[in-house]
Amino acid sequence: MSVAAELAARNRERFEGFPEPLLEAYEAGLRALEARLTPTRLENWSRGGLDLMAVSLRSWESAAEYFRAGPRIPEAAPWETWEQLAGEAASLTEQSAPLAVSFLRSAPETLALVGPNHLAQWADLGRRLYKGNWKSSSLAAQFYDAGPELFAAIRMSQAGRLTLFLDELARHSYELAAACLASAPEVLGRLDGADRAPFLTFGVELAQSSWADSRLYFDRGVALLQRVHAPVRERYLLLAARVARDHSRSAFQYFEDGAAALGEVEPDAHGPVIELAEQLAPHSAYAAMDFIGNSPAVLEKVRIDELPAWQAAGLGILAASREGGEAYFRLQSSRGEEVLDTLSARVELARVGEVLRLYAKALTGRDISIHAAAVLAEKGIGWVDEERASTEGTTIFLPEVMERHRDKDENFAAMKVFATHQAAHLEFESFAFSFERPSALFEDLRPTLPERGEARPATEIERFFDLFPDRALASDLHEIAEDARIDAAIKRAYAGIRGPLGRMQREELARRPEVSELPLRQAFVENLVRVSLDGAGAVRWPAGRAEPMAGGVAILQRLTAAGATAEDAAEAALRLYRLAIGIRNERDESEDDWDALPEFDEQSLDLDLSGLGGDGPPMELGEAPEGESEYESPQEIDFRGEFKPELVQLLMKLRDGAEQGDAGRISPEQLTEEQLRELLEKSAEIDLDALLEGDLQQTTGMFLSNLLKEAGTPALDSDAQSDQPLSDLSTGADEGEEPLAPVVTTYYYDEWDFRAQDYKPRWCAVKETALEEGGEEFYEETLREYASLVSQTRKQFELMKPELFRKIKRLSDGEDVELDPAIEWMIDIRTGVSPTEKIYWRRNKVERDVAIAFLLDMSASTDEEIARRDQQYDDAGDDPRKYLSWWVTKRRQELAAPPKRIIDLEKEATVLLITALETIGDDYGIYGFSGYGRDNVEFYVIKDFEERFGEATKRRIDKVTPIRSTRMGPAIRHAIHKLSATEAKVRILVLLSDGRPQDHGYGRDRTEKEYAIHDTRQALNEARREGITPFALTVDRAGHDYLKTMCEDMGYEVVGDIESLPRRLPALYRRLTE
Amino acid sequence: MLAAEEFTVREEPYYLPLGDEIELFEAAFRQRIPVLLKGPTGCGKTRFVEYMSYRLGQPVTRISQGGDGPGEAGPRPFVTVACHEDLTASDLVGRYLLDTDGTRWIDGPLTRAVKHGAICYLDEVVEARKDTTVLIHPLTDYRRLLPIEKLGQVVEAADGFLLVISYNPGYQSALKDLKHSTRQRFISVEFTYPSREQEAEIITHESGVDMAVSIELAKLGEKVRNLKEHGLGEGVSTRLLIYAGRLIERGIAPRRAAQVAVTWALTDDLDVQRSIEEVVTSIFE
Ligand SMILES: Nc1ncnc2c1ncn2[C@@H]1O[C@H](COP(=O)(O)OP(=O)(O)OP(=O)(O)O)[C@@H](O)[C@H]1O
Ligand SMILES: [Mg+2]
Repeated sequence: MSVAAELAARNRERFEGFPEPLLEAYEAGLRALEARLTPTRLENWSRGGLDLMAVSLRSWESAAEYFRAGPRIPEAAPWETWEQLAGEAASLTEQSAPLAVSFLRSAPETLALVGPNHLAQWADLGRRLYKGNWKSSSLAAQFYDAGPELFAAIRMSQAGRLTLFLDELARHSYELAAACLASAPEVLGRLDGADRAPFLTFGVELAQSSWADSRLYFDRGVALLQRVHAPVRERYLLLAARVARDHSRSAFQYFEDGAAALGEVEPDAHGPVIELAEQLAPHSAYAAMDFIGNSPAVLEKVRIDELPAWQAAGLGILAASREGGEAYFRLQSSRGEEVLDTLSARVELARVGEVLRLYAKALTGRDISIHAAAVLAEKGIGWVDEERASTEGTTIFLPEVMERHRDKDENFAAMKVFATHQAAHLEFESFAFSFERPSALFEDLRPTLPERGEARPATEIERFFDLFPDRALASDLHEIAEDARIDAAIKRAYAGIRGPLGRMQREELARRPEVSELPLRQAFVENLVRVSLDGAGAVRWPAGRAEPMAGGVAILQRLTAAGATAEDAAEAALRLYRLAIGIRNERDESEDDWDALPEFDEQSLDLDLSGLGGDGPPMELGEAPEGESEYESPQEIDFRGEFKPELVQLLMKLRDGAEQGDAGRISPEQLTEEQLRELLEKSAEIDLDALLEGDLQQTTGMFLSNLLKEAGTPALDSDAQSDQPLSDLSTGADEGEEPLAPVVTTYYYDEWDFRAQDYKPRWCAVKETALEEGGEEFYEETLREYASLVSQTRKQFELMKPELFRKIKRLSDGEDVELDPAIEWMIDIRTGVSPTEKIYWRRNKVERDVAIAFLLDMSASTDEEIARRDQQYDDAGDDPRKYLSWWVTKRRQELAAPPKRIIDLEKEATVLLITALETIGDDYGIYGFSGYGRDNVEFYVIKDFEERFGEATKRRIDKVTPIRSTRMGPAIRHAIHKLSATEAKVRILVLLSDGRPQDHGYGRDRTEKEYAIHDTRQALNEARREGITPFALTVDRAGHDYLKTMCEDMGYEVVGDIESLPRRLPALYRRLTE
Repeated sequence: MLAAEEFTVREEPYYLPLGDEIELFEAAFRQRIPVLLKGPTGCGKTRFVEYMSYRLGQPVTRISQGGDGPGEAGPRPFVTVACHEDLTASDLVGRYLLDTDGTRWIDGPLTRAVKHGAICYLDEVVEARKDTTVLIHPLTDYRRLLPIEKLGQVVEAADGFLLVISYNPGYQSALKDLKHSTRQRFISVEFTYPSREQEAEIITHESGVDMAVSIELAKLGEKVRNLKEHGLGEGVSTRLLIYAGRLIERGIAPRRAAQVAVTWALTDDLDVQRSIEEVVTSIFE
């Protein structure tokens, strides 16, 4: 007899009195398990069920389920699981037989899903729901019943949270809990795995705060949540949970509104929005959720990168007053509206800088850069204010943002007025002032006055200021005069600016301080400021002593005439000074009323102050008397910014010292410490106290070296090198820097000395080597980064290809017979003339026959980082979502990529050019150059002409780095040599540089650019003579491009927007050869 | 399609001399030295030749390649050649045409100019096929001969014949550069943009607007030309400024006129457009 049969027989009598199916289940179970279990285990299993029968009156039901479950237990389950199951069954049966029935019924399938290890946990979860009453029992039973379905969707840990949720709900309503449980497998199944736990966490909080919403949450929550970008869903739910935790009855409402709102915002922007909300949450969870809920509305007005500013303003309010802050984020405070309006209306320099740069260039005809004013202050060359507009001669500095109006166009107009004023200083030559040049409108006083300075003044304007005993007053008056002239000139030349400028002047007038409260000399100056703002009507002056004021006004107004020059402004300043110094700087004690000025007959005023220069001995300009109140400068005028002609002239002089001929020339060596110290001490704008705190010697040195750097000359500390005599032939080569020296071939070239108008024979040694090899990643990475541009470039160059095939006619052999010559041939034969046999044609691949040498500047100056130009967003304002996604992509790119340097763009452009050249099949060579001194012009081969493009080329591009100086001439000559060796009919040489040729001994001293430029130009000329087309491409935004003037009639182009270089270069090549 | 036009300039064309170009041209004409006119588009080269031919009482033959659009301003209409790279030697010299009676030889414009002693103006000569230069060479040295290969003839230029070519050295393809052997057969007269006052005078004369407006337009031209290297292949031409003037004369607001005739006509680069737009709004109210 089998073990099963024996067991069945042995226990048969115990089934007496139980319904028939129980025994049937028992026997079927035994039979089914006989083969799976050892006799002992089978017996144990049997005992487990028999024990259940004995627990209570209805426990036989659970026993029956036990017997039915046995055969369905997964094969893989270890014996312990059998025992565990029996144990759980026993304990559950003791609690409630129906509970045990449900448990046992779904245990086998659930086990298969959760694995044996989680059996106990599952049993416990159900047990937690059971509170001893029948409702809880049925909920728990439902929980067990749902096992197979539930665990097909979720994991045990999630089931734990679900139980928590159900448990919480059950406290309020078993029906609700049951309903949620019923839908749980389907609801949770629809969620991403990672979202389930947080979904339930919020559910738990919701069940606590407003349990009635739970059904809604289960019904609609998933769909709502799916509007939130997946990676931030959990963070969103946690924020929502915070509101619920606050016992808010409206937690679900917040959740729903927030999710719906995010649905309207571009997914990529959800991260930033949530992050900002999280910062608010510690102060107020409601504010955080309202912030999210209102984000689409807010983003309709401001860009996503302005959102932090809006949030920060509200956070400030929130921190101070919870109510105030919450109203702000509910969009129910006028302050919030105001901030929004301001943000949406403001104009950022970063976005309009490029347009203003070209605008200023058009106005002035000079290469001008635009930067934020803070940049100028950082330079440490005498400007200290970080916000005020100014110019130092080559760059216009403007405020970073303009937000004075509630309208964007008005703000832009304001920015434009600022820019125009600075550009006008350049266009109308404020800084070209010359001491000796006669003025146009006045009788010149300058030559009649004694010059007071001891040291030779560094600049013309310095010489002028030296005439005055009171430098501060003189500087103020000169500024007023010059600005009056400039504004008038702008109004005359630019009718379109008149309106906005006039408006700005009126706004400034409205801001002026009360003049009658000022000491008289200051009141005099203040009145002049008003006149300069076109506000002669706003002049107020004691009625009894109108004379000097009327004179001042008339002098100033003369400067508004057409043709007024910087010298006129200076002459005016002299006269104004004379008038001002005669007025004691004391409050007016007389009883006179402060009135507008009466009409004056200009004739009656002695505007030329002939008495000053007149017949008598030359009259000195007076000094302020002792004992009066100290003079204070007038309140600043925003749109005019800072005007520092003495510093600008100094910088300009340093910049092009070499071009001015010897008389007025200052080289840094010649600019004495003394001159500088004097300049520093006298310059009214420099904070002397701050300077004196430090060691003046040191400060002066720093100032000087900053200035020199600004002027485009290297810092002083590398001075020692420049002192090497030209004839010193020693080079750094024997210092053993390169242990594994690659093959170096040396070539000698002449150099052009423009002073001698002759070549210096064999002056430069060009050392040619193959560039070291690095990795291929850079090359591949660039192709990836510019994938679309690459394919575009390829396509364009493919298009050029068909032209390569030309029909060649009249051949003696070819593809086919050509009709015309064939007829001729027949006629010739018939008429007895000896015929020509060339009657065939053939399509021939005509070689394009182009060779290009591409010369890369690898000098140290290419190490300069490119201030990333804020990419512009084209679809301005239309669709905040589109904008958001654009912004986020941009942000990502910025985070991923460190700022680029000029050299990086050179490299990238090279990669793209190679793509183009390989497509079209032109012969090309790519070379880099740098070096130090004439004996050591390094010429690196990246790809030689005859060499095939390959992995080595890619690896070499990787190693293109900024090295040392830039001696362009010899490098160009060597490239010419290479090009001449090719057979090509069309030969092109492209020089890609930052336009600053510079090397040790490449000119009389380091500041001299002329020698280098002449030689470079000469080398380019030589190329032309060789029948090579030279083309210089200069990467320059800062206006340091010295080559420009010299190369204007050659192929020459400035790439102002450096980042477009990779795009421009292939395009340029196409234009050159198409 | 070939645009060739022959006529005698009967009415004196308006031309404002900018330098000594008139004297130079006259001298060259007397000496039968071919002339190359170099300069940016729309700066008056064509007008100058017309004027000179009037002054010298010579019929002119103009052969124009591209460049001039259908809206060309001038005393006589120009016809535009669309496929400008296809101008061949036979287009200039002549060809056999088929008609009902068989083939018939038709003189090309150059041949006619040579025979009649006209001033022949080849506009934008670099655009033409290389084989045309072969014709130019014998015509421009002391021989003054035009070989007509297909007829097996050589025509000697009539006395008044003068070859004038124009060339815009702006952005040129290296492939199309004027060959030295060609170039060195001509004296080179360089045209640049007129000064602000001169340009204003031209604008006023050609468009009829007030001098005050013309000065502003000329100022605009000057400012915009400062942006030459920034994606504008060339600065704005006098021709465009005249267009703007003519629109203003017809009652279009100056800002709008400048926008369509200058800003948008010059570039598609949005940044540059915007910058020019700002210059326009600064200059015009
Ligand atoms: N010096 C001038 N005197 C009179 N009119 C001038 C002068 N310069 C330019 N113009 C005007 O400019 C217009 C354009 O000039 P024109 O057609 O002669 O230019 P172009 O140099 O031949 O240009 P392109 O190279 O495009 O053919 C003329 O129709 C004329 O109205
Ligand atoms: Mg023309």
